[in-house]
Amino acid sequence: MKQKTDVLQGTLALMVLKTLDVLGTQHGYGIARRIEQISGDLLAVNQGTLYPVLLKLEQEGAIASEWGASENNRRARFYRLTKEGRKQLQVETKDWEQTAAIIARFFEAKAEDLS
Amino acid sequence: MKSLRRFLTRLFNSAARRQQEERLRDEIAEHIALQTDENLRAGLSLVEARRQAMLKFGGVEAMKQDYRAERGLLLIENLLGDLRNAARSISRMPGLAAVIIVSLAIGIGVNTTIFSWIQLILFEPMPAVSGAANFLLVEPRTETGGYPGASWPEYRDLQAQLPALRDVVAFQMVPFNVGESSKVERTHGQLVSGNYFSALGLQPAIGRFIRPEEAERPGTEPVVVISYDYWQTRFRGAPDAVGQKLRVNERDLIVIGVAPRDFQGTMVPLKFELWAPATLAPALLGGTRDLEDRSIRAFSLLGMLRPGATPEEAQAQFSTAMAQLARDYPEAGAGIGGEILTFWKAPRGPQRLLISGLAILQGVMLLLLLAVCGNTANLMLARGSTRQREMAVRVALGATRWRIVSLVLSENMLLALLGAGLGAAIAVWGTTALRVAPMIGAFPIQFQTRVDGLTLAFAMLLGAACGLIFSAAPAVHLARLDPQGGLRSSSNTPPRSRARKVLMGVEVGLAMVVLIAAALYLQSFRSARQADPRFRPEGVLLAAYDLTGRNPDAASEREFAARLLERLRSLPDVEAAAIATNVPLDLHGIPARSFTVQGRVRTEPGQDRAISNTVTPGYFKVMGIPLLEGNDFAGMRDKAAPAQAIVNEEFVRRYLDGADAIGRRLQARGGSFSIVGVARNSVYGAFGEPAQPAIYFSYRDRPQDQGEIHLRTRTGNETALTSEARAVLRDLDPMLPLYDVRTFSQHIERNLFLRRIPARMFAVLGPLLLGLAAIGIYAVVSYAVARRTREIGVRLAFGATSARVVLQIIRENLGAIACGTAIGWVLALVISLRVMAKGPLNLPVFLGVPAILLSVATLACWIPARTASQIDPIAALRHE
Repeated sequence: MKQKTDVLQGTLALMVLKTLDVLGTQHGYGIARRIEQISGDLLAVNQGTLYPVLLKLEQEGAIASEWGASENNRRARFYRLTKEGRKQLQVETKDWEQTAAIIARFFEAKAEDLS
Repeated sequence: MKSLRRFLTRLFNSAARRQQEERLRDEIAEHIALQTDENLRAGLSLVEARRQAMLKFGGVEAMKQDYRAERGLLLIENLLGDLRNAARSISRMPGLAAVIIVSLAIGIGVNTTIFSWIQLILFEPMPAVSGAANFLLVEPRTETGGYPGASWPEYRDLQAQLPALRDVVAFQMVPFNVGESSKVERTHGQLVSGNYFSALGLQPAIGRFIRPEEAERPGTEPVVVISYDYWQTRFRGAPDAVGQKLRVNERDLIVIGVAPRDFQGTMVPLKFELWAPATLAPALLGGTRDLEDRSIRAFSLLGMLRPGATPEEAQAQFSTAMAQLARDYPEAGAGIGGEILTFWKAPRGPQRLLISGLAILQGVMLLLLLAVCGNTANLMLARGSTRQREMAVRVALGATRWRIVSLVLSENMLLALLGAGLGAAIAVWGTTALRVAPMIGAFPIQFQTRVDGLTLAFAMLLGAACGLIFSAAPAVHLARLDPQGGLRSSSNTPPRSRARKVLMGVEVGLAMVVLIAAALYLQSFRSARQADPRFRPEGVLLAAYDLTGRNPDAASEREFAARLLERLRSLPDVEAAAIATNVPLDLHGIPARSFTVQGRVRTEPGQDRAISNTVTPGYFKVMGIPLLEGNDFAGMRDKAAPAQAIVNEEFVRRYLDGADAIGRRLQARGGSFSIVGVARNSVYGAFGEPAQPAIYFSYRDRPQDQGEIHLRTRTGNETALTSEARAVLRDLDPMLPLYDVRTFSQHIERNLFLRRIPARMFAVLGPLLLGLAAIGIYAVVSYAVARRTREIGVRLAFGATSARVVLQIIRENLGAIACGTAIGWVLALVISLRVMAKGPLNLPVFLGVPAILLSVATLACWIPARTASQIDPIAALRHE
């Protein structure tokens, strides 16, 4: 149970970073919407789980936040990617691609390849 | 780096908690508002739009939990919360908390004080000298196991032959008479080698220390280093003390420096005031041959291992060197080997003796602390049971076992650490009290005990250990709690707790052991005080003189003693006067000598030994020891009589088969003596000792340079003789101080001092422990009774008399108590048989202590039982 959230949180963090990289400064709702749009129904997580991840990233210094006005003129917290976050995104993207590639090769491998 | 940053942020967040909570609330509200707007745009009704938004967001509380866990440091926050909780629950039970904290504090305080003392002797044996525990004593050793000390030429030879040691220093203790004529004062100092201060790594408070070249050849500049205290008291700490002259043993010495503050010399716990170069020995000690004569073994040697060298190497080198010296100088060195000793094993001085005594004391005190822990565990367990419901609710709401344990633990740890803190304060007071030790015997003694980091750590460690010990039972008990059972069971069905009873029994057993030990000790101490010494100490004044500084010969010593006695006896208030080298019941004991006596053939190997004292004629009259046969010694100026000896009854019984002793020849001290009298047995070393054989030699035959004057008063007020005795001595020799003046009773009291410390401790701790045990029993019983109010009410309602109820409660609890008492009693018996092997069993103690303990225990049961049985049955039944 716990392990699953860990994996999820790890990937969720990467999604948040990528979203902020693409869209620039964004509030929590915006990030949630964007992730939902891209992943469609495949990623049916509660939007609430986003906030602990945002906090963790902020504490690590990957993102920064400040108060601002939202589109309907309410007080909202806006998040943006920091320089450090951009670096982290690059590293993690590479890591992710590598992992994905390895996994993909595993699935493509047939019995005769290994003999 | 990243994790550190995260940790710091979280630490900060833990502090700024409220602000963060608001931020999250705002963010959630905003998120849901935006989602609701979105849903409205999709055509949902306002209510439905909001509902969907909230569904989509998910469990707010669960998310908040995650968020909080992410934000701060959960562990620390929980701990702080627990501590706050603990502080609150402690403040709700001030009486109980006070009992626990104070009893722990006493236990920890006493233990810490003793520990600081042991630490001083083992790890910091020389105050102000860092790393003093690493110093090794270089002790020549005779075949019989004695440590005669080293001679100065031997020291000079050894210096080159012990490469494993660096900077071997030599020192000897000397009494100094300081001051001008008729205002002389006796002080102790050390004659030291030139490398003394540098090898100890000391820096002078002011001025400088002795230079190596100043202790190279005899007849150099007469210099002296004074102690810090001496500087403060005699020179009022004036900086111009350096360069001033000090009249020491009728020589002018120039003060060149002041030793660092706490430095008290290298024969701890003796406290020295002056240090002069060893080469001044002939000048200060009346032309002594200390510096040339290899047979005068006056010095002690001390050295530190070179880096990389082992004590074994040093020992091997020392043995080789001593063997070589024995071949080169057979008269002085034959049969003398050598031994390298750790500093605290010093053959001179009381360290060795103290360590074993202190170890026993520490053991007893740790036992006491354990009893306190048992008591506290019991109290906490009793209290913990009343909180079963609370804990059950916590578990039901999702608290983990660990959270429950940590809750209990933090409460107990807080109590334990408060106790340890107060205990440390007690230890500070105790160690300060120890520093002001009085003069014991003729020597000033100082224990520079203090509370430092190590002792504090010890106190805290004890506190933590105590906390853990007395938390264990309640924590396990509560953590095992089944929430359903805990919630369902109301307080009127009491769970019978065996743990509490076992603890109560253990505690009583411990109290038993310590109380019996205390009682045995106190009784032996008291019987010692009341024992008949078989001489008459009342009305006797003692005072010492010392001619060492004059380096007198035998004839002048004899003449001095004779004249002194003549003058003293002519005083109107003096009934009798005598001089002796040793005083019975002295802390340092009386030396024994080997001898052979005509008519006695020893069958077993070894030598006969007897206590030996050298006394003037008239000694037996002053001491009130009757001569059973024969006569007193010949007069001091009698030149015709042969060398004489007087022996005691026990000597005659043991070595001469009780047959006539008079006229027999006795060989001892390198001479032959004729036995002229038999004295009654008396006490020599300690009260209550078995009869010891003793030989008295005559001052006439063996004059000494030191003497203890014994004066018996005619008026009954011996202290009145002090000034007259002083005047007599001043008349004879204005430069000679009379020192260590005391009545015989004071002498006895003072020498019981060291035994009195543990006696006092026991006198206080025994009743304290009894009190603790009583409180423990009281708490357990009153708690158990309170939980059974309903049951007792039912019994009373059905016609049970209150006496019956009381009896039943007492019977239930007395079982465990009696068990503990019995086990403790057997334990104490075994210990007493092993430690005090001799003598019959002390029945009054072994019967009296359990009787007292059991009656106190019964009383402690009876009071709460009585209160409970007085209850109105109707009220009891309505209870809850």
